[in-house]
Amino acid sequence: MTSARSVLLLALALLSTGCASWAPPPGRGMNLRYTPHEAAAPTVASTPAPEGPRRLHSRRGSRDAVTAVDPGSEEGIERGSALSAHLAFRGALDDVSVSTRHLSGALSRLEDSHGGIAGKAAGLFVPHVEYGASQLRWMDAELAAATRLAHAASEVEDVDMQLALLRLAGPRLEAAMLGSLLLAAWVDFLNLLDVAFKHGYSAVETLLVDTDRWQTRMEPAMRALASREPGQVEAAAQDMPALMGHLSSEFNRTAERLHRGLRNVEKVMLLAQLVEMVTMVSAMRFSLPAMRPSAPATLGVGMVVGGDGVMVGTRLVVSAEWVEMMRRLVRAGVLSLTTVSAAVRIQAGQVMLAEAYDALPRGVREALGDGPEVRGMRVTGKAGAGMTEPPRHHVLPKEFREWFEKRGFTGEMDIDQFCVRLEQAHHQAIHGGGNWKLGRTWPGEWNRMIMKALQDAESRLGRLLTRNEVLEIVAERMNLYKIPMNFTRWDGR
Amino acid sequence: MSEDRSWEGNWKARLYERVRERGYDSITAFAETRPTASLVALAEELGPDDIAGVQVFSGLVAEAERNHQVTRLVRGQLVRELCACLPNGWPAVLDDANRFKVAKALGLWSSLTPTTHEECVRKAGDALLASPPPPGWCPLGPDDELLRALLPDEEV
Repeated sequence: MTSARSVLLLALALLSTGCASWAPPPGRGMNLRYTPHEAAAPTVASTPAPEGPRRLHSRRGSRDAVTAVDPGSEEGIERGSALSAHLAFRGALDDVSVSTRHLSGALSRLEDSHGGIAGKAAGLFVPHVEYGASQLRWMDAELAAATRLAHAASEVEDVDMQLALLRLAGPRLEAAMLGSLLLAAWVDFLNLLDVAFKHGYSAVETLLVDTDRWQTRMEPAMRALASREPGQVEAAAQDMPALMGHLSSEFNRTAERLHRGLRNVEKVMLLAQLVEMVTMVSAMRFSLPAMRPSAPATLGVGMVVGGDGVMVGTRLVVSAEWVEMMRRLVRAGVLSLTTVSAAVRIQAGQVMLAEAYDALPRGVREALGDGPEVRGMRVTGKAGAGMTEPPRHHVLPKEFREWFEKRGFTGEMDIDQFCVRLEQAHHQAIHGGGNWKLGRTWPGEWNRMIMKALQDAESRLGRLLTRNEVLEIVAERMNLYKIPMNFTRWDGR
Repeated sequence: MSEDRSWEGNWKARLYERVRERGYDSITAFAETRPTASLVALAEELGPDDIAGVQVFSGLVAEAERNHQVTRLVRGQLVRELCACLPNGWPAVLDDANRFKVAKALGLWSSLTPTTHEECVRKAGDALLASPPPPGWCPLGPDDELLRALLPDEEV
């Protein structure tokens, strides 16, 4: 009888967690909320970003350094859209930073929780807390690097180069954004253990097995995200919603086991409340009702875009501001639609978790910036059409690595970041191969030409060129050689 | 990623075809009617998706070699670089920002100089900095007097 009652109570408690997921997101610490942090944002929003196909790297017209830019001109529009992408990027960075700070606080509380997870079984469980903290470190490092790149982008003159630098920062933001979602789930789980220990749960071995299983499940995705290799990040993004679905059912299983271990009804109630509290802050709270088949009401509820943002039924998944911010970043080629879709599906909860990428309704995809030209931009060749990707080449000659280092090309701005994919014919041509030249007396070979331009300018200037000045000269010549301003990282091969 | 096809197919044939379509019998003749436009702008006009500025320049070098007009081409190229980097003409005050603009123009110019002319281009750059032209100076073509004095045509 007692056990029947407690099952009923647990069911009620879980239903109440389910109900919580129907409320709009709380106004704090949500990974995906966007509040315009900069006063300038609303004014930018009122100048519409250009729509329709637009070539990304090759700016039309001359490269004239126009001092007063007419906002209606192509140059003016491009500057406007670069600025709006820049502001959106800063907004997204702030968003993710808020959630990593929140996670950092949660992890240090756990480390000090001597009545709970850091108590009697500390030797067994604290390493898992530390694992979380070490993941947080790479995310913070990525966010810091992305912030520096965004800063560098704001300082260069050339609009194409500004966008190229933001695109260089994009994968770092993506990795940190998805990583923080995954880590939030991990912290939820640790919190659950903490609560269990605090209430005298003693079957440590079972929980340890659960914890290890979780970590094993999560680790490949974490590693892929930490690698910063765009292909791996993209693949991890694609798998993330399903992984989160799996993790939340594991979470429920552990919660159930805890319930069985705590016979006292009051404690069960308390646990249920704490579970609810624990999961309020992460993406997991939306996926929790999946536990019971008695929640069919959420299934089959379509996802729609409205004035307030993306809704599932009556629940707001992500705000309109967030959608707008992502749309700008996706259209500027800074973030991939896969990552943004994954984030939305995770927020949407179990309705979307199990479904395929294409299951994101078209209207929502379009609101997030999807379009043929964006898809074309992001099909990096590899997955699409089964073609091998063209090889990567250094734009800043690697024989002069030290020369560039002395001029500020270090860390996230080292010359390995400035690689481009070129088809064989194009690559041969710019390196003077393939007998492409018409004239005899001008070699036109890229490395020789660019170093001559840089070194000659520097000797005329009478001081070292700054990193931005180098980029300005390089951007100029990339236009001349029609080298796409779409950088990709060198992977050492 | 990019829909640009500048390096696909026989671009030399394509380049000459476009020039002839516009009624010119050489790339030089086409380029000389637009003496202050950048090479990128010239390429943009001939084929926004399938001609690169560097191809136009390579064609100009070949024609200049044949016609013994390399010095003229070199002067013309300085005009293009100056117009792009210093749209308001030679600066009145050579502060750090302006000095960079001048240095950038001269650096870009020297990187597009045929090997035969590297030495005289270096000297011409030195001369420009040693005795600067009047503020606002903005040569409009290879026949600019000051430029001709700096880089006189070769004897044919």
